[in-house]
Parts: sequence; structure tokens; C-alpha cells
Amino acid sequence: MSEFNQTSLDRAKKHLLILAVIGLGLVPLLYFTGLMSIETVNMLGRYLCFAIVAVGLDLIWGYTGILSLCQALFFTVGAYGMGMYMAHQYPSADNPSIPQSLYVVFPYDVGQGKGEEILPWFWWPFKFFPLAVLLSILVPCFIAALIGLGGFFSRVRGVYFAILTQAVTVAAFLFFSNNDMFLCGTNGLSQFRTFLGFDLGDDKLKFIMYIVTALSLLGVLALCQYIVHSRFGRILIAVRDAEPALRFQGYKPHHFKMIAFAFAGGLAGLGGMLYTPQMQIITPSDMAPIKSILIVVWVAVGGRGTLTGAVIGALFVNLIYSWLTSPITIGSVQVWSPDYWPILLGLLFISVVLVIPTGIVNIKLPFLPRKKEVNS
Amino acid sequence: MAIKTQIQTLASRKSSERSDAIAALVATGDSRMVLFFDAYRMGSIYLLDGEPYIGGDVITDNNLDQFVTLTHVLTGEAVVDEAGALTLVPLSNTENLSPNRKERIRVRSVSMLLNLSSPEVDARLNAAKRAGSAPFSPEAIPLLEKMSVEDPSKKVRHTAAESLALLQLGTSRDENVRMEAIRNLGQLESLRALSLLEDMLNKDKDLTPEEVAVITTARNKILSHQQKVKIFDNFKFGLSTGSIYILMALGLAIIYGLMGVINMAHGEMMMIGAYTTFVLQKSFGHGPESPQNHFFLFALPASFLVAALVGWVIERLVVRKLYHRPFESLLATVGVSFILIQVVRLIFGDNQSSNSPTWLVGGFEVANDMTLSLNRVFIFFLTMACVGGVMALMRFTSFGLKVRATMQHREMAASVGIHTRRIYSLTFMLGSGLAGLAGCALTTVSGITPDMGQNYVVDSFLIVVIGGVGELVGVVCSGLGMGIILQSLENSFFSPVWAKIIILGFVVAFIQFRPAGLFPPKGRLADV
Repeated sequence: MSEFNQTSLDRAKKHLLILAVIGLGLVPLLYFTGLMSIETVNMLGRYLCFAIVAVGLDLIWGYTGILSLCQALFFTVGAYGMGMYMAHQYPSADNPSIPQSLYVVFPYDVGQGKGEEILPWFWWPFKFFPLAVLLSILVPCFIAALIGLGGFFSRVRGVYFAILTQAVTVAAFLFFSNNDMFLCGTNGLSQFRTFLGFDLGDDKLKFIMYIVTALSLLGVLALCQYIVHSRFGRILIAVRDAEPALRFQGYKPHHFKMIAFAFAGGLAGLGGMLYTPQMQIITPSDMAPIKSILIVVWVAVGGRGTLTGAVIGALFVNLIYSWLTSPITIGSVQVWSPDYWPILLGLLFISVVLVIPTGIVNIKLPFLPRKKEVNS
Repeated sequence: MAIKTQIQTLASRKSSERSDAIAALVATGDSRMVLFFDAYRMGSIYLLDGEPYIGGDVITDNNLDQFVTLTHVLTGEAVVDEAGALTLVPLSNTENLSPNRKERIRVRSVSMLLNLSSPEVDARLNAAKRAGSAPFSPEAIPLLEKMSVEDPSKKVRHTAAESLALLQLGTSRDENVRMEAIRNLGQLESLRALSLLEDMLNKDKDLTPEEVAVITTARNKILSHQQKVKIFDNFKFGLSTGSIYILMALGLAIIYGLMGVINMAHGEMMMIGAYTTFVLQKSFGHGPESPQNHFFLFALPASFLVAALVGWVIERLVVRKLYHRPFESLLATVGVSFILIQVVRLIFGDNQSSNSPTWLVGGFEVANDMTLSLNRVFIFFLTMACVGGVMALMRFTSFGLKVRATMQHREMAASVGIHTRRIYSLTFMLGSGLAGLAGCALTTVSGITPDMGQNYVVDSFLIVVIGGVGELVGVVCSGLGMGIILQSLENSFFSPVWAKIIILGFVVAFIQFRPAGLFPPKGRLADV
């Protein structure tokens, strides 16, 4: 496998450097010279959160061959974790022990009246910032491990596993949308005021969050590159390419699959956790089944099995999205309506499979030196 | 003209005379009295030269004089001038009969009483039902007693007896009568009495032990009946939901089993079938007022054909390049489903309500409180017909033989001269067409939206997983099972959310033990 040779590692380092220069150099430069508004920086910050999720998915899909259709679930669980911490910063005026976000949709028991609300037990740990951060990553990790336990240990493979994860997502979506679950129902968490002492409208906070997200993404990318070039990464690739052969050699593929899946779940949780302070709202619709499929498409567009491609795909698709979900007029003629976006997205899905199966990072341009083929 | 004189008596100043007149008018049992009493309650009965008329809206002219148009109570003729136009009669020429409050309340139940002796079964049934709910009118007792024995319709006899007991329970002061009524309600397994009896048990503190015993027996009897009705309903709804699942899963199972394609746009085939039915319904001008039921005869084949045609196009443009590549086909067909949903949304807008043909409206009562609605029975039989058809197609035709051969070993089949690509294409069309039929069937029970298929596709895949890929019998069993279990869980102590989560846990557990489905292939086929 060519992924292990020195050139591959060198290229990974080069990509990382380029991304770091753009993310930590160019964007702040544009912002401080006034060429880029804080809203754009904030938007980029949110898309970088998506990129973290995409890197996680690329690790399990591109390298391990597990197609997961529940990454958005892990993302949203992580986002809810941070959201619950932020919700605690804005207690209800009527009952200070309950966050305002929960207060407006509190599912009362029979005989329970206003002012008698008791904070549900699982909201407690999220009062403390370090614990909230930790749980936002560990809870998705744990859920992923559970799904892996149910799926991999009984040798649910390939597309069956994908369908299974999608069914889990549907169930979780219904679960989070239910008002009785003390998770604010379909309203989601939205009543936020401050974050770590900053007012949420503060430009400084937005910029700091951008930098934190960019650093996290670079860290995650470096870690994943390290993993795929390590011995562990080789086993993951072996799982993808020849699982039965690996089993015959005495390895237990399901253990490796579960660890990789849980790790990717944790990365998705990290992305979600960074997303909430930047988006300032998180609802169950963020884990609708379609969102997970979108994440798969980001990776597919960027190029699966490349990690850098996942970042580029996530940014590329989302930037197009933000551009094309507002009407475009030339002169007085409206040439583009947001209504057409799903159609374009559908075409993107089809073309990424039929036209650029290796993703945009592997498109061979005539004036660039040839790159190696990527196994799919 | 007894009726006319009685109506004239209503103008009397003595309330006892008026009350007698009302009783006499009710006793006539004349069907015209229903309209009369409705108008009387609203205060729009007028006497003009001693003749009773029902008045329309009162019109006031610029001089503040009031006029009204009149229709005769008995003959139904309007007051007209020589030219035949409606005459506006000055209000001052007429005498208005308006009831006082007490009479108004009494008259309210009169139309119910009159309907009790209507020749129409439905009218009698509704009236009998109303007689048993508050406000009670004790006048109905003799009529109900007579009905509960003599009425030609069994259903009406049952309802009359039930209402009679409820009425006695609600109005009688005689404890013996009340206890007898409670016993009767228990005998009749009256669901309507359940909450009443439970209230009595919980709130009424002065009950003697014997009374408590009587009420408890009756309540338990009703409760066990209610349980049976619940099971029946779950079974019924489960069967029809399961049928839709089967129609969907059948196509998915064949397509995945044969060509290794995960078709996420399968739900949209169903949506296209539903919209084809909707378009045909509109173009035939079918509606509840003007039923054009034959549209459905066209809609059934049309929904199959249109969905199959769209399936063919998709197969040609997208799926053809993705045989035996489940991941890629999954992604590409998700894209196809986006496009189809959005195109349909741009054309038709969101939610449309459809009217099923009037043939399928209503139902027949299997037992007390257990009604099989026709549309659900229809869906079940349509599905069974399709399953039978597909099985026969696979077993007895040369096309089926070729499909089975290709499914078992594609290269070998190709080498003996089977045009496998054509088989793929035709099978894809067949599967899409079946989903289209599912959509057509679904319009008889629910409304249609562009994304209606999305709810079904994941569940249908789970059914395929349980039933086994390419196993028609397995798909039928798991589809029906899933429908019934889901419905039962939803309607017992679990909310739909928990039902879904439990089903999911069940599926995961099932896969642990039977990874190849309900009916795993045996022998050499097991390795393929």
C-alpha cells in the first residue's frame, strides 16, 4: 500500500502546513485588514467544525471501510453537551435552578406546577465547564462504542451497518424531538446569553472561537495522519481491504472497528461542542437523517481516504451552500432561487459518485504532476 | 290539520298549553317537525293569517321597517307574488313564535326524538347514540325501549339498548333501576359507559357494597371487551401498515438481492405513485361531492407504470453504472431522491389531500365496536395480490427463471445467453412499479407530501434485513410482523418514539442471532 511510504507522510505534512497557513495566517490577516467581516470568519469557524466531523468520518469510511450514517447524531450530542453548559448561564427568572431554555418547554408531570420544576439529573454535570467539555466528547464516544458493540461484534457489515446506523439516527432524532425527554423538544437549545464571560454578540468571542476551532481541526488532522501512518492505521486499512484475511491471521477486526468508530464519534462530538457557541442554537433537526448523509458527501466530494480531502470537501460543499441558498439576480432577472438548491445537491451526490469518484483533491490537472491512485 | 292547530297553540300565553302542544307535535312523529323545531328554537317561526311559516333572515330597510321571506312549514311552499318572486313580508303583519329558555332547551332534544322514528337507518342510529349522552331527555325512554326490541337493524337495537341504560343511569332516582341499567351496560360491553362507571367507583362515596360489586363486575366486563377491541385495532392497523411496508420492501429486496444496489430513492417511487393517483383524481374531477370512482381503475395501473418508467430512467442514467457497489449506489440514489422530491415540490407545492374513491369509504362491523374499514382491507388484498403475482412471476415464467439465475450467479447466467443487463433493468422497473402501487394504495388512508417516501424507506430496509435479501416469503413475514408489532407497541404503554426504539433494539438483537434473515439460504447458496 502506497499510503505508508515516506512520500505519503511528507505530503500529509505539506497539506497540514498549507491548511495552517491559510487557516491561521491568511484568514486572520484578511480579518484584521478589514477585507473579511466577522460574520464570514464566524461562518468559516462553523464550517471548520463540520470539517472536524468529516475528518472523523474519513478515518472510518475512507480507511476502515465503515460507512456510518450517524455522524450527525454524534455531532449533535456533542453540541447539546456544550449547549447545556451555555443554557445554564441563562437561568430562568421564575425558577433560577432551571435554565431558561428548558423552562419554556418544561414537560410537567401530573400535579406539578410552575415553580416546582426540578433540574433533571443529567443536566447537573453540565454546570461545570471542564466536565461539560469532557462529556461532550465522551458521551458521543460512548454511544458510538455501544453501536459498534451491537453491530461489529455480530459481524454486521458493509451496507447493512450503514442502514443500521441510519435507523439509530432516526430513533435518536425522535428521542431528542420528544418534549418529555427534558431536552427541550424540537425547540432545541437556543436561549443563550454569555459564554465564558463573553457576551455572545462579541466579535472577540467569534474570532477566538474561530482560532480555537482551526487549532482543533489542525490537531485532529495531525493526530489522524499519525494514526493512519501508524501500525494501528495499517490494521484499519487491512480491515477495509481484506477483513476475512485479517481475521485468519488472528486479529479481531471488530475490536479495531469499534475503537475507530468510537474515536470518530468522539471527533464528531468535539466538532459539535465547538459548533454551539458559534451557531448559538442547536436543535434536533441538526441530526435529521439527511445531515449524516451530507457528511458522507462532504468526504466523498473531497476524496475519501485522504483526510485533507475531507476538510476541503466539507468547506467546499458548505461554501457553495451558503452562496446558493440566497437568490441571485443578474440585472433584474432572478437566475437562481434557493428552491433549486436541493436539485443541485442531488446532482452533486450523483456526480461525485459517477464523475469524480476519487474526489476533488485527486482530480488530475494536466499541468500538475501526477498523483497516485486511491483505492476505493 | 292537527299539526297546524297545535302550532297555533304555541302562540298561547299559558306555558302549560304550550308545553302540551310541543309534546303533541313530537308525538306526531312527522318528519317535517325536525325542520320546524330547529327553526322554532332559533325563533324564526311566524304565523301569517294563522298559517305557520319558517322565516329566513330578517331584512331591515332604511325606514327601520323589518321584512322576512317565508316558507310554509307543512307544504314547504314559499310566499310569492304573481311573478313568482319571493315576497318580503312586513314583520308587523306576522306573529312571531319565540320560545322561552326552558322550551328552547327542551326543543333541542326534539329533533333527536323525532329521528328515533325516522325510516332511515343512519338517522335512527345517530339519534339513538345521542339519546344516550347528556343532556338527557327522559321522553326518549319509551321510544328506546321499543327500538331495542323491534328495530330491524341489529346495530340500532344494540345502540338503543345501550343508550337506554345510559339514560336510565343518568336520569333515574330509583336505585334498582340504576343498578339494573349498570348490569345491562356490562352485558352490552358498552365502551361509552366505561368512564362513567369508573367515575362512580372513584368519586361516589355513598355506594353500598352490593352496588360497588355490581359496578365493578360491569366495569371489568367492559374493560376486557375494550382490551379485545384494542387488540383487534392493532391487528387491523398493523396489517395495513405492514402491507405498505411489504409492497415497498418487496421491490427493495429484489433490487438489492439481484443487482446489489441500495436504492434510497425507492420511497420517491412510492411518492410518484401517490402523485400519479392524485393527478388522475384531479383530472377526472373526482371529489366527495361528485364521485368519479372509475378514476381509481386507471390510477392503479398508471401509478405502477409511471413509477416503473421513472425507475427505468433512473436505472438508465445512474444505477446502471453502479451495479454491485452498494455504497456508491446509496449515495447516488440519495441524490436522485433529493431531485425528485424538490421537482415534485416545485410543481405541486407541499401537502395535498387526496380523496379515495367512495367505494373504499366506510367499513363493515365484524363485531361490536370492531369495524374493518374498507380501505385497509383493500390495501391488504392488493398487497397479497402483488405478492402472489411476483411469486408466480419468479417461479413460473421464463423471466423469473432468468432473474433467479442471474441472482445466483451473474457471470454463469450471462454465459448461457441471458441478457443480464436487460434483466436488471426490468427488475428495477418492477420494483419501482410495486413502490408506485404502494403509493397509490397509501392515498386511500393518508394525505400526500413530496417527502412522504422518506418515512418508509429506512423501515423498509430494516424489513429487508430481517426478512433476508431476495427472500420474498421472509419479506412478507417480517413486513406484517413489523407492522403489527409496531402498532401494538405504539398503542399500548409506549409512545411511538419508544416503540420505534424498541423495534430497533429488536432488530439489532435479531441480527445477532440470524445475520442472514428469517429464512437463510442453505447449502451452496449460503456462500454467495
